[in-house]
Amino acid sequence: MAGVTISALHKRYGAYHALRGIDLTIEDGEFAVLVGPSGCGKSTLLRTIAGLEEISEGTIAIGGEVVNDMRPRDRDVAMVFQDYALYPHMSVFNNIGFGLRARKVPRDVVKTKVMAAAALLGIEPLLARYPRQLSGGQRQRVAIGRAIVRDPQIFLFDEPLSNLDAQLRDEMRSEIKRLHQELRVTMVYVTHDQIEAMTLADRIVVLKDGLIEQQGSPLDLFERPQTRFVAGFIGSPKMNFVPVDVSQDGLALTLEDGLRLLVEPGVLTGSRRGDLILGIRPSHIAPARETPRRGHVRRTIRVDLIQLTGARSFVTFMLGRTPVTAEVGAHDVAAVGEDMTLDFDLARAVLIDPATGRIV
Amino acid sequence: MRKASRRRRRPFGRFVLIGLWLLFVLAPLYWMFITSIKPSDDYLANPPVWFPSHPTLVHYTAALFAYRGFQGLINSLIISSAATLVSTVVGTLMAYSLARFNTGGGHLSFWVLSQRFLPPVATVLPLFLIYRSLGLHDTRTGLVIAYAVFTLPVTVWMMLAYFRQLPPSLEEAALVDGCSRWRAFWAVAVPLAAPGIVAAMVFAFIACWTEFFFALILTSRNAFTLPTVFRAFLGFQGAQYGEASALAMVSLAPSIVLGTLAQKHLVRGLTLGAVRG
Amino acid sequence: MAPAALPAGAFPLPGKEGMTNAASVPQRRRPGRDGALAEWADRRLKWLLAAPAILLILALSLYPLLFSIWVSFINYDFTVPGHAFVGLKNFQQVIGDPVARWSLVVTLILSSASVVTEFLLGLALALAMVKPFRGRGVAMSVIIVPLFISPVIVGQAWALLLQRPFGPTNYLLGKLLGMDVTISWLTQTPWNFIALVVADAWQWTPFMFVILLAGLTSIPQHIYEAAELDGVEWLDTFIFITVPHLAPMMLLAVTFRLLDAVKLFDTIFMLTGGGPGTMTYSSSFYLYTVGFQQFHLSQATAGSWIFLAMTAIVIGVLVRRLMRVEAAR
Repeated sequence: MAGVTISALHKRYGAYHALRGIDLTIEDGEFAVLVGPSGCGKSTLLRTIAGLEEISEGTIAIGGEVVNDMRPRDRDVAMVFQDYALYPHMSVFNNIGFGLRARKVPRDVVKTKVMAAAALLGIEPLLARYPRQLSGGQRQRVAIGRAIVRDPQIFLFDEPLSNLDAQLRDEMRSEIKRLHQELRVTMVYVTHDQIEAMTLADRIVVLKDGLIEQQGSPLDLFERPQTRFVAGFIGSPKMNFVPVDVSQDGLALTLEDGLRLLVEPGVLTGSRRGDLILGIRPSHIAPARETPRRGHVRRTIRVDLIQLTGARSFVTFMLGRTPVTAEVGAHDVAAVGEDMTLDFDLARAVLIDPATGRIV
Repeated sequence: MRKASRRRRRPFGRFVLIGLWLLFVLAPLYWMFITSIKPSDDYLANPPVWFPSHPTLVHYTAALFAYRGFQGLINSLIISSAATLVSTVVGTLMAYSLARFNTGGGHLSFWVLSQRFLPPVATVLPLFLIYRSLGLHDTRTGLVIAYAVFTLPVTVWMMLAYFRQLPPSLEEAALVDGCSRWRAFWAVAVPLAAPGIVAAMVFAFIACWTEFFFALILTSRNAFTLPTVFRAFLGFQGAQYGEASALAMVSLAPSIVLGTLAQKHLVRGLTLGAVRG
Repeated sequence: MAPAALPAGAFPLPGKEGMTNAASVPQRRRPGRDGALAEWADRRLKWLLAAPAILLILALSLYPLLFSIWVSFINYDFTVPGHAFVGLKNFQQVIGDPVARWSLVVTLILSSASVVTEFLLGLALALAMVKPFRGRGVAMSVIIVPLFISPVIVGQAWALLLQRPFGPTNYLLGKLLGMDVTISWLTQTPWNFIALVVADAWQWTPFMFVILLAGLTSIPQHIYEAAELDGVEWLDTFIFITVPHLAPMMLLAVTFRLLDAVKLFDTIFMLTGGGPGTMTYSSSFYLYTVGFQQFHLSQATAGSWIFLAMTAIVIGVLVRRLMRVEAAR
């Protein structure tokens, strides 16, 4: 079985403690995405799996075998780098076949495999060219081809799409997903883009400051975040955070400017009361409908800012003293300065303890 | 209110300066050239002869054979080539080690770099004694290893700058692909640093070719190099103007040609990579 | 060694038949593992790579220096037999020798005069050459030629020009100034000093020039454009924009050149032979005569250690600076 099991992993660079105790199990065939802000340690973690970084403490096992002291070449992993890392002085064919030749695979076998990989990725016509003659997307395909052709246990991706323009990124994302579906090999993917994480992952691992903040399926993280950080990180546009004072009976929220919102009984989750932060997603704020829905709170607000994205618009307004964004249909709002009545779905909202950042 | 007429300062002064300087550079070279082909009768002519009416090559033959300039030439060629080879290989390996692994912290690189500034007189005196006792005095081998060490700082530092410029992800890809660290160095890093290697070789060669002090002390009748032959002419009191100039022209040609070809990398070589050309 | 071929069907084929690895290969093959020696070498590679260089420098630089410490405290002299320990006598002899002291003065005078001249000329040339013009490439190639010439040949070339009665210098100067010039450039003070500085500047001004030019071209153009739009005068632009940007490069060039200039030997050897008498002895030349003309080897060694100690501080400072510049890259 070629899963990855990481136990109590620590990585220090001198005084800097980059990874502070990672425990993670990635199942065989799973697509795991490591996501988080810059400096959280996701790339470092990936590189320790590859063997490009030594670990200070803990164990890494690939396919059940502890690989702590194994050189990268012996771990049977393949990696796709952010800057493609194609060998500029070799043709595409030789780039892809390089790993095989390094392992003394006979020429004819190399040729067959390279051709097959190239066919899979649609880059056969490029085999005689050199990396500098290729576009960004083509280079990325070659990099992926180089990884595929070795038939490794684990695929590692280090922010492979960051250097591509938006359109190309969407295309390549689909390709990678398709690849995983076909190959069914364990893939570990690092990105700072939560859209990539949501669309690609079987399991998302959110990292912050060298620790795992939360892990789970994309839907899990989206609907049941455990901390403010995860709640704010996953989902686009970002969740709104409004400081509120929850009444002892759970029936009223008081905003910063004293405004009170009345809530139906049983809507607010959890048992915490007092000064908390309300987290509500823009997609859970909708224009008011004829019949009020259960769990919704209705308010009229004044529109401050409108950002049109085509079919949808993001409308920003003040709630209490906090700017809040709602996602509505393009035709639901006309102009800045207008008044608008919105239904806030508090049943889907979360309450956050401002001191710990945890969802209560 | 600035006057608009202050525009367009004339570049005249610039070209005068450059022109004068070029003249200044070429004058001694020209004089040396015509001296080498000037028949001895014209030496003391007053006014000086600016171009001989009967140029001759007799000084060249004299310099090369009567004064053993040819032997010096061959020795210089062998010694410079061998030393350059050793220096480049050893230096490239060391530079890679320093660039990728930061071997020895800053201390090792400090030590290697500071070798460049050692006054030759400090090392050549003991080296002379050591060589004599080892039988290396006046041998080509002796001078080759001395030159190899003497050019090592330049080689190391030029290659260090080149390796630092290579993105590490290329070698990492090779490592993951199945290379040992050595193979990653050999199959990926070295081919990509090739221009730097060539430049380092050129400058090392020129340094060996033009070196005088070490050769003066460490060689004698057998392994003497081309620059040491000039000792026989002793510029300030000798009268063999023609032979001296002829030999000088012979020595000049290769180093100027090589240097001009590698001039793109010149700044890096001169400042040990501290400044990008 | 690992088997070279994969089990059939393990590799995914394009199209509908996306074979899965897990399904068809129950046991993963392990990739090839080298012998223990290769793995050991791989782990220690950084030291293996550095070893040849370290050994070379230890053998031919460190060891001779240590050896020379010993030599400077004993009597090692081809004219006096034995290797008796003599304490500080060698050092005292050097310090007490008026020629040694004079050679230090000469070294200081010549090196500072040369470096200053080269700096000013190099700066002027760099400023003149910074804007592109037709033929600039050719001019560049000519300007840098002196850098590739052996210093003895430079000495030789200038000797040819300056030597009486063969050299045309006095003749030309005479024509230029309209009067008879009878300077004996190689044997008359202070003209021989000037000759040495001129020869040195001829060879090494391009050194300054190349570095300063690199520095000048690295100053972003738009800073000058902004200044021009603001109406800043040329001189102010130079003082307040160019110089601050160029300062680190200037310092680098000057220190580099200075450390090389104090080693002055070859040109003196050819141009003046140290003369007349010991008038133009540089420190290196002095030590050479003591060691290899008088054969007082331990005295020469002691002297060279004194000389080394004097330059060591400057060396240390410069190398630290260079390394900081590299590290910041």
